[in-house]
Amino acid sequence: MSRFFANGSESESESSEEEIQATNFNKASAFQFSDDEEEVKRVVRSTKEKRYENLTSIIKTIRNHKKIKDIPNTLSSFEDLTRAYQKALPVISKEENGITPRFYIRCLAELEDFINEVWEDREGRKNLSKNNSKSLGTLRQKVRKYIKDFEDDLSRFREAPDQESEAEDEVVALESDGGDAGDDSDAGVKPTEAVPKAVKSAPAKAAPADDDDSDDSIDWDSDSESETESSDDENQYQNMRERFLKRTTEKEEKDDDKRKDKRKEQKTKIRKRAEDDEDGEWETVVKGHVVEKPKMFEKDAEIDVPLVLAKLLEIMSARGKKRTDRRLQIDLLFELRDISDQHNLGTAVSVKIHFNIISAIYDYNQKISEPMKLEHWALLLEVMQSMMKLLLANADIIMSESVAEEHEEYATSPFYVRGCPLAAVERLDDEFVKLLKECDPHSNDYVSRLKDEVNVVKTIELVLQYFERSGTNNERCRIYLRKIEHLYYKFDPEVLKKKRGELPATTSTSVDVMDKLCKFIYAKDDTDRIRTRAILAHIYHHAMHDNWFQARDLVLMSHLQDNIDAADPATRILYNRMMANLGLCAFRQGNVKDAHHCLVDLMVTGKPKELLAQGLLPQRQHERSAEQEKIEKQRQMPFHMHINLELLECVYLVSAMLLEIPYIAAHEFDARRRMISKTFYQQLRSSERQSLVGPPESMREHVVAAAKAMRCGNWQACANFIVNKKMNTKVWDLFYESDRVREMLTKFIKEESLRTYLFTYSNVYTSISIPSLAQMYELPVPKVHSIISKMIINEELMASLDDPSETVGMHRSEPSRLQALAMQFVDKVTNLVDVNEKVFDMKQGNFFQRGNMGNRGDRGYNRNQNNQGGNWLGQRRDRNNRNRNQRGHHKNNQDRQQQQQQQVQTIDEE
Amino acid sequence: MANRANRHAARTEDSDNTINYVQCDGLAVMKMVKHCHEESSNMDLAQGALLGLVVDKCLEITNCFPFPKSGDETMDEEMYQLTVMRRLRRVNVDHLHVGWYQSSDVGNSLSMALLESQYHYQTSIEESVVVVYDTQKSSRGFLCLKAYRLTPQAIQMYKDGDFTPEAFRTLKVGYENLFAEIPIVIKNSPLTNIMMSELNELLPEDKGHNFLDLGTATVLENQMRSLIERVDELYQEAVRYNKYQQVVFKQDTEKHRALAKLAAENAVRTSKGEPTVPEEEVIKQFRPMTAPNRLTATITSGQINTHAQHIAQFCSQSLAKLFITESLQIAKEAKETK
Repeated sequence: MSRFFANGSESESESSEEEIQATNFNKASAFQFSDDEEEVKRVVRSTKEKRYENLTSIIKTIRNHKKIKDIPNTLSSFEDLTRAYQKALPVISKEENGITPRFYIRCLAELEDFINEVWEDREGRKNLSKNNSKSLGTLRQKVRKYIKDFEDDLSRFREAPDQESEAEDEVVALESDGGDAGDDSDAGVKPTEAVPKAVKSAPAKAAPADDDDSDDSIDWDSDSESETESSDDENQYQNMRERFLKRTTEKEEKDDDKRKDKRKEQKTKIRKRAEDDEDGEWETVVKGHVVEKPKMFEKDAEIDVPLVLAKLLEIMSARGKKRTDRRLQIDLLFELRDISDQHNLGTAVSVKIHFNIISAIYDYNQKISEPMKLEHWALLLEVMQSMMKLLLANADIIMSESVAEEHEEYATSPFYVRGCPLAAVERLDDEFVKLLKECDPHSNDYVSRLKDEVNVVKTIELVLQYFERSGTNNERCRIYLRKIEHLYYKFDPEVLKKKRGELPATTSTSVDVMDKLCKFIYAKDDTDRIRTRAILAHIYHHAMHDNWFQARDLVLMSHLQDNIDAADPATRILYNRMMANLGLCAFRQGNVKDAHHCLVDLMVTGKPKELLAQGLLPQRQHERSAEQEKIEKQRQMPFHMHINLELLECVYLVSAMLLEIPYIAAHEFDARRRMISKTFYQQLRSSERQSLVGPPESMREHVVAAAKAMRCGNWQACANFIVNKKMNTKVWDLFYESDRVREMLTKFIKEESLRTYLFTYSNVYTSISIPSLAQMYELPVPKVHSIISKMIINEELMASLDDPSETVGMHRSEPSRLQALAMQFVDKVTNLVDVNEKVFDMKQGNFFQRGNMGNRGDRGYNRNQNNQGGNWLGQRRDRNNRNRNQRGHHKNNQDRQQQQQQQVQTIDEE
Repeated sequence: MANRANRHAARTEDSDNTINYVQCDGLAVMKMVKHCHEESSNMDLAQGALLGLVVDKCLEITNCFPFPKSGDETMDEEMYQLTVMRRLRRVNVDHLHVGWYQSSDVGNSLSMALLESQYHYQTSIEESVVVVYDTQKSSRGFLCLKAYRLTPQAIQMYKDGDFTPEAFRTLKVGYENLFAEIPIVIKNSPLTNIMMSELNELLPEDKGHNFLDLGTATVLENQMRSLIERVDELYQEAVRYNKYQQVVFKQDTEKHRALAKLAAENAVRTSKGEPTVPEEEVIKQFRPMTAPNRLTATITSGQINTHAQHIAQFCSQSLAKLFITESLQIAKEAKETK
């Protein structure tokens, strides 16, 4: 464009104009022609003909499918046929007085014959593939149902079946009736068709490519000569294509409906292009105007604010119209800006133009889901920043949505400009995210895109400054939230340094910034959403910097868990991310239980990836529609904000292991044992089911292997499985202070292994010396002492500490494994007996009833029952203190069995 | 001891049967044992065919061969069996198919699948038996080899395919007479016996105590575990049956009520001289409930029974072991003091 200006003398532009016009004439005529062509077709082809063509083409495909016995396709074609017929029905009733066309009946008859033939051929039917035979069944049923409506016609047809060629002729005749080019019968055309099609495809492809080229080039007007030439070529192609098109039969067109559609699209595109061209020309004149304008005004020496504003209004009024060339609009606005700058029309005007440029750039992309072009992006950033700088530099400019159009003031200070930099910057941010999502996250593209993040943040910062100066609370909250959302997921090592006192307490870190922003929002926000998001981000940020207590307190105080289900998906995603990070933080801080608690909701579903919006799960059988998928894709997090899933899962599994294994050991025989972590349990189970367990490969296998080692109290093996080179590179090195985490982990493994060991093997000891335990687990003696004391206090371990000898004396109160099993067994047997008694109860009820009815009044039997009832109560009581009184219970059991036998006998007698 | 008692009971029970006892060749036993130990895991069972012949009321098993592991789709099992038998005939080995064997874990072998296959065996080859070999227990030092046959009632029941409680009652099938255990006698040729005794001589004195393994806990634990599982299953079945009973009872009372009502109405009608409504229509309204399948419950009971027997037997054997060890220990100490 600038080049254009550079060599844009009047005469040249004129000459080029001429040329353009000349070429345009050609162009126009060519298009005129093609349009006519289209018109003719549209007018001449009657609906009847159209429908019939449709029908015949489907019939033909059915015939083809029948030939190769492709039954599923026949089925689908048949369905198409019935649908097409349904469409054609009004026409038929009008044109043929409701008589079903012959060819249609014929097709139905043929189809029926074909089905019967295939159906009868049992041998062949057996050999059909599953798919084929299934669709054969459905086809048969459908056809049977369908032809019931045509029974009369069919029987008439079967009486006088006509030859195939006749029918074909009929069809053709019908076609030619319509007076169109459908004069070739299908057989003849096909081979000839193939050639032009091939030829056709090449230019067809070439044309849009050209299109794109011209589209992409920015200086499209300056070398309009060559451009128009090339477009001329296009037109030639276009004409050639039209010629080919003419030759193709209607039928073929119908066959390739889709292709035609595509072609149509291309055509319209080209036409649009042509329109654009025209527009362009028209606009060039305008542009010439603009170019001339300085000259014009130079003569008058008057370019003033209203003039520029009028121009601006003129340009912007074209906005949103179909015929507007959006790029040109942007260019024009830039020029206008330059001009206004040249003439020192004041910053207010400049700001206004800037703002309009921004909205024009946003307008350029019509689809919301697609990212904007990179060049526009760069432009946008630049304009945005310069606008904000202008705004900030001139305190007397007030830009706001609340300024009404008629109150805008450009001439005198204070200036009022209508516009909303907040909306613009929010859109900017959204566009940035879109751009990022477009890139492959593992490519350099992504990195280079990500470099713009700094600029985006800078822009946000500028807008923020502006609103801090003048802006309502709501606006400030909004812009703060934008800033927070760029801040919360970034790790600032200075925070930790400050915490350790390496940096002076006065240095401002990201946590401080977050604190300031969030507190403002907490105090001033009146929409719930912003506050919720701010809290979530705040917690996230705290968790990231190991401020476990602050983070936890914020979670607890905000009561987020209660009402997060009502939030919008984006907020829920943020909540999930927050929870994940909180879990990681808890783990780093050594709060294994909390870590597990935080992560369990995410992990138990088995799809943390989806919950964190870090990728879609592979689609399973149309679980979601294309639309849904699109929405879900929009929700995805950009890659640089992802939380490492493997780390997450590993932390979860390890914390589950640390909790679950001692628990399993402690409650080995408890019938009512519940699982702490289902996922972990499943992993363990599946590994146990394997007949051959190899050395661990993946992270999960490592954890499972470690869990198994821990079960025997082998802490060394366990620690080796969790902390080794492989796991370090995979997981632990991802933590900021990985060494500290590893140390903490080893300590936990030691402690929990010790606990597991005591649970599992306490029954083989009468006493254990604490120093030897401490030696075994490489723990300090007081630590072991405290662990054991804790277990004793919690009544997990029946033992007593003997201080002088430093030993733990075991009280053999818990049963051996076999005894425990026997106890469990007794439980089960009593259950069974209970149910059995109920079964007998029912019997008795029946008998009792019958006895009452007078069939049999057996007194002895009744007595028996009473007797048993009495006993029963006794048993019930017994069952309550069964554990204390096993023997008595057994005796009772025996009694009961005897009774039951008695009862059986009585029943048998009956 | 228990074994002998069992054998006795079995003999009296099905004296009318075609086979009184199974006589197994040492070679066949060894082959079975080898195959079962090699191929059975906790996932799948090892199975094979038994070959032999019937000599008045005694089934002699003289040879066997394993079935290929299932899962190989390309192999036609029937063809394989026939070829093996044909080839065996060529080398003059007994080739009559008289049954099949199967490995088992902790005695839970008497399952539905076993019943089914044994039914097919017994209906096609009348004298066929199934031999169940318990790998786990055998590895603890007790050879556990059991032969089973289906009782005629069980066959009849399976043939009818009717597992309702009524069918069970009319056929008098219970868990104890679904399968009949047939005693197994292992018979070796005199030459083998001689070699065995010679080997016995060769055995060093202090190596012969291996069979006195006292680690009984694990076996018992496993037995208990599966016993608990079975009892649980039976419990489920009982609950199901109880529910069925309740439904039937409810229906019955409703039916009675409806019938009584009808009778009253009919009485009014007859007094008015109108035709009475037949009772069938009321009865038709109450569709009979489908009785729950009792077969699973019966089989589970049978399994519980075998488990209990196994445990009892195992305990007595273990006790015996303890006593033997005690006396051995005393003898050893006496020897040392000398």
